[in-house]
Amino acid sequence: MSPSGVDASQRVVHPPSEPGWRRQVQSYGLAFVSVAAALGAALLIDHFHFRDAAVPLLLLAVATTSWIGGTGPAALSVALSSLCFDYFFTQPFRSRYIVSRDLPYFTIFTLFASLISWFAAIRRRVEEELRQTRDKLKVEVEEGASLLDLTHDSIFVRDMDSVISYWNRGAEEFYGWTRKEAMGKRTLDLLRTIFPKPFEEIREELIQTDRWEGELTHTKADGAQVIVASRWSLRRDQEGRPVTILETGNDITARKHWEGQIQGLNRELAQRSVALEAGNKELEAFAYSISHDLRAPLRHMAGFAELLRKNAAASLDEKSTRYLTMIVEAANRMGSLIDDLLAFSRIGRAEARNSVVSLEQITQEAVAEVRPDAGDRKIVWKIDPLPEWYGDRSMLRMALVNLISNAVKFTRTRPEAEIEIGCAEHQDDHVVLFVRDNGVGFDMKYSNKLFGVFQRLHAQETFEGTGIGLATVQRIVHRHGGRVWAEGIVDGGATFYFSLSKIAGAN
Amino acid sequence: MLVEDDPKDVELTLTALDEYNLANEVVVAGDGEQALDYLHYRGNFMRRARENPAVLLLDLKLPKVNGLEVLKHIKSDENLKMIPVVVLTSSHEEKDMVASYKLGVNAYVVKPVDFHEFVNAIKELGVFWAVINEPPPGSVRKR
Repeated sequence: MSPSGVDASQRVVHPPSEPGWRRQVQSYGLAFVSVAAALGAALLIDHFHFRDAAVPLLLLAVATTSWIGGTGPAALSVALSSLCFDYFFTQPFRSRYIVSRDLPYFTIFTLFASLISWFAAIRRRVEEELRQTRDKLKVEVEEGASLLDLTHDSIFVRDMDSVISYWNRGAEEFYGWTRKEAMGKRTLDLLRTIFPKPFEEIREELIQTDRWEGELTHTKADGAQVIVASRWSLRRDQEGRPVTILETGNDITARKHWEGQIQGLNRELAQRSVALEAGNKELEAFAYSISHDLRAPLRHMAGFAELLRKNAAASLDEKSTRYLTMIVEAANRMGSLIDDLLAFSRIGRAEARNSVVSLEQITQEAVAEVRPDAGDRKIVWKIDPLPEWYGDRSMLRMALVNLISNAVKFTRTRPEAEIEIGCAEHQDDHVVLFVRDNGVGFDMKYSNKLFGVFQRLHAQETFEGTGIGLATVQRIVHRHGGRVWAEGIVDGGATFYFSLSKIAGAN
Repeated sequence: MLVEDDPKDVELTLTALDEYNLANEVVVAGDGEQALDYLHYRGNFMRRARENPAVLLLDLKLPKVNGLEVLKHIKSDENLKMIPVVVLTSSHEEKDMVASYKLGVNAYVVKPVDFHEFVNAIKELGVFWAVINEPPPGSVRKR
């Protein structure tokens, strides 16, 4: 290719304006100069009485101009040479007139000159088009190649004998061999490929489907082994014979590592949940047994003690009657302890059945349930408007029953009890409810003991109870992603707060 | 009829029923198998009168054939399914309650630990099922 051909590719991209008109002037100048030179030479030859050199010389001038200068200068050179031919070489000589005898001669000359310039023009156009196409192609190829260098994936091309013929920058960076080092080497030798299955099977799949993908183990220049997700595409020649393989790969070593870790963790988790499930089943059987087998003897104790008191009422002294009463009371107390404990453990085991719950409605229900315990005591109830929330209805109701019955219980000493149930905070993602009373309160010093199982702050004689109620409340609230806390003053009332979070799955 | 394996419970229940003079008419079965023998006139009960009990008080935790199995059997037998069955159990277990109702139990009563409550519960049960309730045809009638 000529040097100007390389420049042409530049002009396609940035056409500079100035050399354009200069070239035009040069081309038209060439038309004048070449025709003048041909004419001079023809006249000189004619002067020495050589024959008929004018026609080939002028045609040579036309051809040269057309070849180099293009269409415009070619037309000019045809016109000039025709004029010269007419003036100098047709009779009458040195005149614009042509005798009719020489007219065909002149016409043929003009046509021939035109034909030459026309051919030259076509050839020029074709050449120009070819050059442009070539330049475009070259740009495209260059851009394509540089695009392949942009990616971080390693891309290389190899022939059917695994000899590398292309190696992109991603491959250079990843494997650590430069393009020069890799080209011409066999991939199997360079990368020490370890295949997931016999190479023959891979090859067969590639030949059949033109594609293959899988995980390969390669060794980098520094000796480190890497796992690569590799995709192969087969290129065939026009006869359909496989020629080259384009191999794209990305590094999944880290991913494989984490996958392995995750699998290990999952296995461990599965084992643990099996163990947990077994434990849970055992616990359930245990609770079932307690609820059946432990309550029966209590019932018998209470029952027969009662019967004894009835039947032997006449012969029993006051002390013995009191003992019997205490036996009955103890049995009853143990019965309620068992019931509360079972309810408490059930909250841990039971699956939460979540739905939209009207907190106000379940509060009303809880108050209605607790109210009979208060007998004819005077209680001022204040129930604020409460929102709807997403949670387990029966659990939330149980929590409110526990808190409200506590409030009723610990206001027993008040001539007029005040119990308020309200909403302290209502946000999108959580809500805080409170139950406030003007009862005997508690010392904040012991507030951390309030929610423990079997923890009680009052003597059994003053306020009866199992010490499980608030632990149950806490468990329910925890299952709803919230927390429970209390504020109190000795003899100055207590306020129990609990928050509920928006549980996953809530709208 | 009372199906109950614990003699103490049997005695307490009968004592409670006695207050309304209902105890004499109660047939007691000690386990599920005995109860089914009775209902099907088998074994020791081959020659008993051909009538169904007015009500069956059924404990759930029983030796050999447990209460739920007895209930299932009764409710799937053409001749027995009309007998009103009341589950009388120690347990609050929700699973048992749901299973009993699914099998078609007529009532489910948890025995209270407190004796007065227990007596009241049994008495009311006895009065309701043996006196107030009209039993299905072919049952024992309170005379």
